[in-house]
Amino acid sequence: MFETLPELFNNISVFTAKWWGMLAGPFGSGIATSLKVFGLTLLFALPLGLIVALGEMAKFRLISAPVKFFVMVMRGTPLMLQLLFVYFAPFYIFGIRGAYSRFVAVIIAFTLNYAAYFAEIYRGGIQSMPRGQYEAGAVLGFTQVQVFLKIILPQVIKRVLPPFSNEVITLVKDTALVQILGVSDPLRAAQNAASFTFSVVPFMFSAVVYFILCFIIERLFNLGEKRLSYYR
Amino acid sequence: MELLRVEHLKKSFGAELVLSDISLAVNKSEVISIIGPSGSGKSTLLRCITLLEKADGGAVSIDGDYLFHEQAGRVVYAKKSELRRLRLRTGLVFQNFNLFPHFSVLRNLTEAQIHVLGVSPDAARETAMELLSKMGLTDKANAYPYSLSGGQCQRVAIARALALRPEILFFDEPTSALDPELTFEVLRVIRQLAEEHMTMVIVTHEMAFARDVSDRVIFMDEGVIIEQGKPEDVLINSKNERVRAFLGNFKS
Repeated sequence: MFETLPELFNNISVFTAKWWGMLAGPFGSGIATSLKVFGLTLLFALPLGLIVALGEMAKFRLISAPVKFFVMVMRGTPLMLQLLFVYFAPFYIFGIRGAYSRFVAVIIAFTLNYAAYFAEIYRGGIQSMPRGQYEAGAVLGFTQVQVFLKIILPQVIKRVLPPFSNEVITLVKDTALVQILGVSDPLRAAQNAASFTFSVVPFMFSAVVYFILCFIIERLFNLGEKRLSYYR
Repeated sequence: MELLRVEHLKKSFGAELVLSDISLAVNKSEVISIIGPSGSGKSTLLRCITLLEKADGGAVSIDGDYLFHEQAGRVVYAKKSELRRLRLRTGLVFQNFNLFPHFSVLRNLTEAQIHVLGVSPDAARETAMELLSKMGLTDKANAYPYSLSGGQCQRVAIARALALRPEILFFDEPTSALDPELTFEVLRVIRQLAEEHMTMVIVTHEMAFARDVSDRVIFMDEGVIIEQGKPEDVLINSKNERVRAFLGNFKS
């Protein structure tokens, strides 16, 4: 169909001029949904992941065993399946209809899934902290909570930033999975557009959307790492 | 005046008996050096007293107040609040400093003053700067630990412990992680503290230093105190076979 690069770009501009009016709406709302899923998942999964990590490391097996099992299940089954399960479980298990909207189901599933992955990152960071830091804190009279919040956690955050950037970038692309519950997203918009325009250009659009989001996130993480590089 | 008393302290790690029966008393303003081969339990003794390890038997008291004591064959610790209060009467300097890398030198010294003792930030800073000047580190107040030499780190660590005004300061091999040429700057600081009558218990392999600075030297091996006495009696004129064999390794 396209022969040379200039022709390709020419075609894209012609295509855009022709279809923009019809595509802007679905793409816009798709991007908005992706951003909402992304933001809310981080908002809930970042703290929940820390709690899960602490649960995994709890001395009491009554706490640690179920938490470890939770992490195993969340990491051992597809996120897409979890989305379906969370959405349909209230009805099929409890016979409750319309317990929550599709969007809420999406946020619950994403939060649980990502909290499990985040927990493993937190755990790695916390366990990599030398014992001497805890001991120095204890000897200086800090309470256990103070030691964790003032001494351990700030250093853990620096250590987990690189693995977190990986996971957060994956989250951007995973937001495309929300369409399994019929929630709109840029990829879904592209699929629809491709089928009525007979063109792959909409796929390129959505690719650019994801790429830009990931690019921004990578930059932000680099910035964060730089800001924390004042100590070693 | 007696400040610290250790009675029949016992500690095992699994099947390995590390402290089999340690008793000792430390008087106010006394400087005690503990020497002995590696694995003799010296560090574990300090760690039991500073509550970093749980004792399996015996008792430790500070100024008559028990941190823990044995009751019907079991070690009973004081209440958490009491332990926190008593622990603040002691300080511990670690072999590898354990400074907080994410805090500046100054904040390493002020953080516990402010958030443990409840001192105002201004007063804490003043205390910290006084101690830093004593350590010869005034210009490092805003530096981060990674940029300091080992000797400087250890002096900051000593200042950090002193900032809480402990009545007795423990040193766990304070110069063992240092290059020989940095050792003396740390020893000089400890010597200065001794001259100011700070009560100190120092686990060390620096025999000459132990002889100079201590009022009493304790030789430990295999979890028991083999010999203790005036520095010259233990380090030079000991009659004990094991002490002499150990000290023989240090003479070239």
